[in-house]
Amino acid sequence: MNGWTVAATAALAVGVGATVWGVATGPLRRRVVAQNLSTSLACPALLLLSEGYDRPSYVDLALLLALLGPVGTLVFARLLVEDLAADPPRTWGLTYAVAAFGAAVVIAVCVAAGPSRALVKLLVVGALLIGGNLTASRALSGGFAGSRRG
Amino acid sequence: MDDPLIVVALLLVAGSATAAVAVRDPARQALVLAVLGTVLAVLFTVLQAPDVALSQLAVGSALTPLLIMLSVRKVRRPKRREETER
Repeated sequence: MNGWTVAATAALAVGVGATVWGVATGPLRRRVVAQNLSTSLACPALLLLSEGYDRPSYVDLALLLALLGPVGTLVFARLLVEDLAADPPRTWGLTYAVAAFGAAVVIAVCVAAGPSRALVKLLVVGALLIGGNLTASRALSGGFAGSRRG
Repeated sequence: MDDPLIVVALLLVAGSATAAVAVRDPARQALVLAVLGTVLAVLFTVLQAPDVALSQLAVGSALTPLLIMLSVRKVRRPKRREETER
């Protein structure tokens, strides 16, 4: 094990472990937020794993998760809109904390990769991850008023 | 060589799979299933099977929840209409 896989283990145990607990218990608004954060925490963990195993092709996994994670959350935001409108989640502090963690991981992996084509790919993953996370959080808290008429 | 990582991933899968069985409401079950799909993909990556993890991500994190939520919606709607008609 090296430093990258240790960091990935910590991110999985603390971050994803907390979201598994959050999605299994509590009211619906907590569960949708935990589901959203689980993808935005697993994606940096996959980036750390690809760096730890020294296999740049594993970045594809993080790219796919950064793309599809927010899509999954938007599915819930759209189909649970009636339940969420009565009791909307407001957890911007947590969302920004997870986005900052994702940005820190992307920057660390970018520094390790150095200037190359892989760097561009990592930056795309980071932009998709943070943008998708913020968009999905906004959709969950009812930010897009037009989508309420489901 | 990466035993702690594998143990953590296995524990996460066991925890979320147990939760998916224990939760009763189908909508909440779909939420737990989405998390289970993501955690399973991480487990496959840790076990050096990125191709399996890719397909698991595509199916588990977006497609399965979408199918379940659409069926839940379809099943619930007629009930609501009957209630409003009464």
